[in-house]
Amino acid sequence: MPTRRKPPIPVSGVVYGEIIYWGTCISALLVIVGTIRSFLETGSLVSVSYLLDAALSGKNVETIWAASEIQRVPNISFYISTWTNGESLTVIGIAAGVLSVIPAIFFSSVYLWRSNNHIFAIVALISGFLTLLAPTGWFSP
Amino acid sequence: MTWTKRLPELQFLILCTVCCYAFLELFITPNQLSTFSVLSAIDLILLSFLLSVLVAIISVIAGVGGGVIFTPLMLAFTSIDTLIIRSTGLVVAMFSGLVATGPFMRKGLADIKLVFLGSLPILTGGFAGSVAAIYLAKEMAETGDSFVRLLLGLLLMVIATIFVLGGASTEYPEHNDRSKLGRILKLRHMYWEDSLQKPIKYKAHNIKAAIGLLFIVGFTGGFFGLGGGWAVVPVLNLVMSVPLKVSAATSGVLLAMGNSAAIWPYINVGALIGVIAAPWMLGQIIGGIMGAHILASIKAAFVRKVLIVMLFATSVKLTARGIEGLFGISIPLM
Repeated sequence: MPTRRKPPIPVSGVVYGEIIYWGTCISALLVIVGTIRSFLETGSLVSVSYLLDAALSGKNVETIWAASEIQRVPNISFYISTWTNGESLTVIGIAAGVLSVIPAIFFSSVYLWRSNNHIFAIVALISGFLTLLAPTGWFSP
Repeated sequence: MTWTKRLPELQFLILCTVCCYAFLELFITPNQLSTFSVLSAIDLILLSFLLSVLVAIISVIAGVGGGVIFTPLMLAFTSIDTLIIRSTGLVVAMFSGLVATGPFMRKGLADIKLVFLGSLPILTGGFAGSVAAIYLAKEMAETGDSFVRLLLGLLLMVIATIFVLGGASTEYPEHNDRSKLGRILKLRHMYWEDSLQKPIKYKAHNIKAAIGLLFIVGFTGGFFGLGGGWAVVPVLNLVMSVPLKVSAATSGVLLAMGNSAAIWPYINVGALIGVIAAPWMLGQIIGGIMGAHILASIKAAFVRKVLIVMLFATSVKLTARGIEGLFGISIPLM
């Protein structure tokens, strides 16, 4: 007789989903605070109007940042060191959402290993390390 | 609106976002933009947010990633630097998938084994694509931009054609051949089908071909800032014989992971501008949730037809702009 019972849901998947879900919610709140701060701060590092005007007028990325108050192309270290700034906080918020994938992968791999899915646990670990390496900029041109 | 009762955190997030934009619009006096004298910076941010909500709703209903709509439209009809558009495109492609990961996993719709099977080709492909995009922009500058527009115009024609032929997708694909690799990896699973009130079993097939295709999808997604929802669902459904519902859910989760690596080269060259990307990110989260609930009550086929027409029109414009830039000729189009 065919079963009508709901199949069990893998814990590794639920753990993966919950970490990313809450990470994304927190990152969205950071982005909201960053956006408000960008418009409220008076002595900001980069003016919001300048960034929008420069981008809309078709200037390339390097020109936009070179002509801004910071006079150099920012990377993630710059954003972290100036995290109280609205623009930096907004980028950090987006990055936090993106980074939530990393703990999710590692925790999920533990549960995959425990459930005897060893191949997928190892693949998850490799994916986790690749995702971890991406922010470092080692492979960037 | 039972979902708001079940997900109070999302209700809170929507409230915060609406309050944020209402506060900015009502209480802050911003500078007028010189490029758009009728709009202030805040007006533009609010407009971007509303457009992002609309893009997210359309993309969820049409079953594609938001990047497929955002990136081509912005590349075709604005003069914003292509790296800025492509990095924001990845944000658009990623965030509706990120926020949907939790609900998809809780319901058991996304298959975690398939997610990790596709993770390596999607991650490496996406990362290689974004590195290639930045290399091209540095080496070829304006010519590189025109080249990207031309290539994307042609790719978009292919995507639109896939959508036209999309009727080939099957809800519960059947496959008689046994996949050896699928058996070794134990790629069989089942999910609860609400509409039938019974569990559906499935087995994944053609694993090697799917891995190769996912690498290509990852590369194009990272290179053009498109994401890849348009291609991952067909790969899972038509190539691997995974049920359509599981394919759609797994695709969203997989792309969110793949794009999370692809976006870093863009962030590290300053191409992700927070004030531009923020409204698009928030709009994707909110619009993605709204779209998922509207989906139940409207005819997705109509939205899909509108999307196909839009993709063809955008591809013509992109191709024309690419040819104009590369060969210095003028093609009179809107």
